[in-house]
Amino acid sequence: MADIRLVNVSKQFGSVRVIENVTMTIGSGEFMVFLGPSGCGKSTLLRMIAGLEEIDGGEIHIGDRRVDALPPSEREIAMVFQNYALYPHMSVRENMSFGLQNIRMPRDEIARRVAAAAKTLELEHLIDRKPGQLSGGQRQRVAIGRAIVRDPKAFLFDEPLSNLDAGLRVRTRIEFAQLHQRMKTTMIFVTHDQIEAMTLADRIVVMNNRKIEQIGTPMEIYNRPASRFVAAFVGSPSMNFLPVQQISDRDGKVLVRLPDNSEIQTNIVSSRVPDDGKVTFGIRPESVKVSATGAISGKADVVERLGERTLAYVRLADNSVLIAEDEGQSNLNVGDQVRLDIDGASAHLFDARDVAYSAA
Amino acid sequence: MSAADIASDVPSKARKRRFNTREVLAALVFVLPFVLVYAVLFIYPTIQMILLSFQKAPLIGAGTWVGFDNYAKLFKDKLFGVAFWNTVYFVALTAVPSTLLALAIAIGINRLKGWVQSLILACFFIPYILPVSVVFRVWGWMFDSQFGILQPLIALVAGGNVPVFRTLPLFMPTVAFITIWWTIGFNILLFIAGLRNISPEIYEAASIDGTSKWRQFARITWPLIWPVTVLVLTIQLIAQFKIFDQVYLFGNGGRSDATMGLVQLIYRSAFQKNNGGYGATVAVVLFLVIVVFSVLQFQLLRARGGDNK
Repeated sequence: MADIRLVNVSKQFGSVRVIENVTMTIGSGEFMVFLGPSGCGKSTLLRMIAGLEEIDGGEIHIGDRRVDALPPSEREIAMVFQNYALYPHMSVRENMSFGLQNIRMPRDEIARRVAAAAKTLELEHLIDRKPGQLSGGQRQRVAIGRAIVRDPKAFLFDEPLSNLDAGLRVRTRIEFAQLHQRMKTTMIFVTHDQIEAMTLADRIVVMNNRKIEQIGTPMEIYNRPASRFVAAFVGSPSMNFLPVQQISDRDGKVLVRLPDNSEIQTNIVSSRVPDDGKVTFGIRPESVKVSATGAISGKADVVERLGERTLAYVRLADNSVLIAEDEGQSNLNVGDQVRLDIDGASAHLFDARDVAYSAA
Repeated sequence: MSAADIASDVPSKARKRRFNTREVLAALVFVLPFVLVYAVLFIYPTIQMILLSFQKAPLIGAGTWVGFDNYAKLFKDKLFGVAFWNTVYFVALTAVPSTLLALAIAIGINRLKGWVQSLILACFFIPYILPVSVVFRVWGWMFDSQFGILQPLIALVAGGNVPVFRTLPLFMPTVAFITIWWTIGFNILLFIAGLRNISPEIYEAASIDGTSKWRQFARITWPLIWPVTVLVLTIQLIAQFKIFDQVYLFGNGGRSDATMGLVQLIYRSAFQKNNGGYGATVAVVLFLVIVVFSVLQFQLLRARGGDNK
C-alpha cells in the first residue's frame, strides 16, 4: 500500500498535448476515480502511472520511490485493462501465475496465491479453462485475479466495467467496492460513467480537455462543482442552465432575475460573483419541483416516468427548457401547463469563464 | 393434439425445410461450376495418373497393364534415389529455415513504424513478384564464376573464384538460398498479418507482468502465431517438394543427373524419354509424400492449435 504523487506531469503525442501540468496526490489506501469524457486524457494519465506511456515532463512517485523512469514491472502496480488483456492461449491458472513465474517466485507460493485469489473471486471451478471459454464477467474476474496475486502497492483499473452488460455492471461495481474494503489498497479507477465514479470513489478527479477540472469527494463534486463542465458532467439528468437577466444583492446574497422576470433568492455570497452581465444560473432537476404554488410557469414538453419520480421537461415563456421533478405517481401529461418551485438555496452561478459559485 | 403428435410433427417439418427444392437447386447452381472444373482438371487426371502408373505406356496413346512393375523398377532405379534425396535435401534446406527466417524478419519489421516499415517490407516482398527466369538471370550473373560480383567475396573464403553452380556440394545450398530470397516476402507478409492480430494490450499486460523479451516471444508471441507458422510451413513444404524451375535452370548444362529433383525426373521420364507410365509412377510417389506431410502438418496444427482456443 502506498500513496501516488504526480508533480507537474505532462505528455504530448507529436505536437498534440494530451496532459498538461497535472499535479495531484492519491492517498495510501484511497479509491481514486479519474472521471471525464472520451479523449480527456484520463486513460493516458493512468497509463503514465503504470509506465505504459512515457512522460515528457514532471515526476511520478509511488510510495517513497520516484518511478517515472522505471519499467512497468518495477513500479509494483497491477493493472486491469478495458478488454481484460488475458493471455488467450493460457488457462485461468496460467494467466494468474504467469507474472509470478516471471519473478521466479517459488512454485508452492504461486499455487497458494492463485488458489487464494481464485477462492476470493469464485473462480475455482474455472481454473483450468481458457479465456475463450469464459463469459465477459468471468474474464473480468480473472483479470482482477491476475492483479490480486501480485500483491501490488496500487491497483490501476482502465474502464474495467465498460464491456459488461448493464446488470452485470452494477453487480461488478459492488464487487469492486467490496474488494477495496477488503484489501484497503490504493486503487485508481478510470471511467466515463459518473455513476461508477460517485458510487466507488473516495475522491474523484474530474478531467476535461487534458486538464484536471476538480478533485474532491463525490458529494463535494456534486454539491460544489468547480466549473460549469463539472456541474454539467456529474449528475443525471444533467444540471439545468438558464441565462440570467440581472443579478442583485439582497442581505449579502445574490438575487437572480431570470428572462421571464421571475426572481430567485440564492444562498451565494454576492461579493464573490462578478456582475458583468454574463452570469448563468444552474440548478439540478431535483431542486426544481412541480408545484401548484410555484413562481415560474411553463408547458410540459416531455414527461418521463421513472417509477420513483417523474421528470418533466418544461418549456418556459422565453423558450428555454427546464428539467423539473415530480412525484412518482404524478398525473402530469405532455402539453400540461405547470408551475415550478425552484429551491434557490441549492442554486449555482457560473461566470463568463465558466467558474462556478455555490452556496457555502 | 397430443404432445406426441407435436413432437413427431417437428422433425417432418424440419426435414421439409432442409430439403427445400429451390434451395437445393440454388446450391447446385453455385457449387456445380467448381465441382465440374475440379472433376475435369483434378479428379480425372489424378485417377488417370494412378492408372497410368500401372502401365507401360508412352506419353500419349494406349499402354499395356504391367501391375506393380513400375513401382518395383522405381526402387531399383538409382536416379530415383538421387532425385528423391535431392528433393528431401532441398526441402530441408528451404522449408524450415525460410519459415524461421520469415518469422524473425516479420518480428523485426513489425517493430518499425510508418513509412520505414512499408519500405523495408516492400524490399523483402519485391523478389516474390519476379518470374523465375529473372531470378535465374540475376543470381546467375551475381555468382558468375568469372565476373560475378559475389566472386571477390567467395574468393576471400575459398582463395579463388568458384563456379558455384558447377560445384556439386554448393549447388543445392545455393539454389536453396536463392529460393528463400525469392519467396520469403510472402511468408513475411503472412507472419506480419498474424503478429498484427495480437492485441497490443496483451503485450502491455506482459510488460506489467515483468516478462523478459525472450519469454515474451516464447510464451506469448510464438504460441499466438503458431497457426500462422504451421500454415507457412505447410505452404513451404508443398511448394518446395515440387521444386523444378530453379534446379532445372541453374543445373542446365551441368551434371543434371546429380542435381535432379523428383519433378525433373517426372519431366525427363514422361516428356524426354516418352515413358508416361514410369513418369506417372514417380508422380504418384511424390503425390503420396506431399499428402503424408500435409496430414502430418495438419495433425501438428491441431495438437498445438487446441491450446490456443
